[in-house]
Amino acid sequence: MPSWSELEQFLVSGLALGGVYALSGVGLVVLYRATGVLFLAFGAVGAMGAFLTYEMIQASAPGWAAWIVCILFGGVVTLIYGMIFGPALAGRDRLVRAVATLGLTLILLGAMELLWPPTSGAVRAISLPTDNSGFTVVGLQVSWTQVIALGAGVVLTVGTGVFLRYTKLGTAMRAMANDREITATLGVPIRQVEAAAWFGCGILAGFSGLLLADLVQLEPATLTFLVISSLAAALIARLRSITVTFFAAIVIGVVHDMLTPFNALTNYRDLTPFVLAVIALLAVSRHQTIMTRSSEES
Amino acid sequence: MAGTDTKSSAAATVAGQRLALLRRPERPVHLSVTVALVLFALFALPELMSAYYTGYMTLVAIYSIVTLGLGLLVGRVGLYSLGQGAVLQIGAWTAARLLFATGQPFPIVIIEAGLVTMLIGTVIGLPAIRLRGLYLALITLMMAGAITVILATVNFPNGGGGFTGYDGQQSHIPPIRRPSIAGTDSAYYRYAVVVAILMFILVYAHLRTRPGRAWAAIRQSEPAALAAGINTTYYKLWAWALASFITGIAGGILAGDAHYLYSINFSTQDSIILLAVALMGGVYNLWGAVIAALLMQLLPAVLQNLGVNYAWLTILFGIGVLQVLTTAPTGLADQFPKDMKKLGGLIWRLVRRPQPGASASASASGGAGGGST
Repeated sequence: MPSWSELEQFLVSGLALGGVYALSGVGLVVLYRATGVLFLAFGAVGAMGAFLTYEMIQASAPGWAAWIVCILFGGVVTLIYGMIFGPALAGRDRLVRAVATLGLTLILLGAMELLWPPTSGAVRAISLPTDNSGFTVVGLQVSWTQVIALGAGVVLTVGTGVFLRYTKLGTAMRAMANDREITATLGVPIRQVEAAAWFGCGILAGFSGLLLADLVQLEPATLTFLVISSLAAALIARLRSITVTFFAAIVIGVVHDMLTPFNALTNYRDLTPFVLAVIALLAVSRHQTIMTRSSEES
Repeated sequence: MAGTDTKSSAAATVAGQRLALLRRPERPVHLSVTVALVLFALFALPELMSAYYTGYMTLVAIYSIVTLGLGLLVGRVGLYSLGQGAVLQIGAWTAARLLFATGQPFPIVIIEAGLVTMLIGTVIGLPAIRLRGLYLALITLMMAGAITVILATVNFPNGGGGFTGYDGQQSHIPPIRRPSIAGTDSAYYRYAVVVAILMFILVYAHLRTRPGRAWAAIRQSEPAALAAGINTTYYKLWAWALASFITGIAGGILAGDAHYLYSINFSTQDSIILLAVALMGGVYNLWGAVIAALLMQLLPAVLQNLGVNYAWLTILFGIGVLQVLTTAPTGLADQFPKDMKKLGGLIWRLVRRPQPGASASASASGGAGGGST
């Protein structure tokens, strides 16, 4: 049994990880609610952006330019996908639209393996200037990257909540989440609103890809499938509430990292998001909410 | 008395019709082509193939069973599973453990592996089946991720003791045994093909009888199926159990084929690629399963032979999924013959068009044939 002082450090890293999961989870939920598409390529888009950043930094480009490229890449790729396949699949089942994004995932994954094949020797990594500078709080070492990760999660969740509640575009998105047809009849330019949602989600994908590449590891498959952890958070919130998504993501991140010092459990810590999501889904299904909802949708 | 007589005779007629439905081949041409292909795969192909391709064709036979199970779930019942790769791992693990632990004959072991996988699949499926559509796909993805993590920690058996059968210190790792009649690679290929054919027959028999009709009703509309008196949960679970069973058997064959199993060779990505190729091959047609397995296992071998990077194939699968979902939901198995027919019609029209005009230049070649008759 590790002592509390050993656990403390993992609490900090867990909060940072949870913050990034929250960032991705909120992006997934907002896009899902506005367009009905569960964007499973979220992780792959971020990963590809992170690799572009890595490549630019290797070519001694200025850091800030490389980060902006990563974030913009996420936005542009997601927007292009949304503009082409959003309308093409608009009338189809939500499941089909989610599976189609797996197609984009595979394309990006293949492209990454082609352009950046696994290296045997040197490990690729992105380091942000905020990694090494930090401060000490009640005896705990905290880096600025960790602060940014958690802070971004918090700011984004609150910001998105405010945006959806008080702005015109946010109201349009909430209206579309309820009924696309009626929203269109009311004169809302739904294609433009959808485009905004796609672009915003892509920006978040790029941003979280950059942070995860720094906090976890710069490797195509790892980063691509980290989306499953944030997806777990979104599922716990039943793909609806961004507040619940945020807290679920924090819990997943903290539990995951705090299991690390336990010898018996350390190898199983990657189960955290799966176990929590499965429990949440089964609890939901007991009340049959999903049954009625999905039959309404189909 | 008379009433029961008519009742029993009516029942006999219905039973007779059912039998006839089972027996009557849908299209005799299809049946003969199938038989010819099966005979070719069993007898001619092993003689023609190099050792390199024999190994990959064995994998095609194994994975055709996996995609058959997935196609059954997706195409016939409408249950999207993103966890079939994990189910295959359970089958392979169980078979490997039993092959090391016992001296039972190989066929018995793979049936046991199938049954254990079915049991685990059903236990997992029972709660999951309450969910539908997107949520079911996601819960299977989560479960596949969990199983992959567990097996990566437990490791595949390598002849050690205990429940897990894994010994990290072992210096000499014994290979997983094969059946005595199929020790060589080409004999094992035939063995795998025979098992695959049996699995296809098993699934076909299901599709042509009561469960197949119940699944078709459920896929069309679950409330309507329920109203028609079909126990939807029971039949959905049946499909789930059947798919798990055959996938478990495929896992058993895979264990014998590989000789050594490592958890590093299995990933969550596999489950996603499995769904991708199953959709590309076509989930509404049993041939789709074979095409999917060829795409997943033979195509990489051919590309590797040509020196093409495997990553291109991943990209191709991605494009294939998008193409299938947007324009050709029936997949290659149905789309390819249609396209060929269209192409044939187009060529036919192109060839025929100049003739009615009978201009001197256009009928130069065609006219010669016409003149001679």
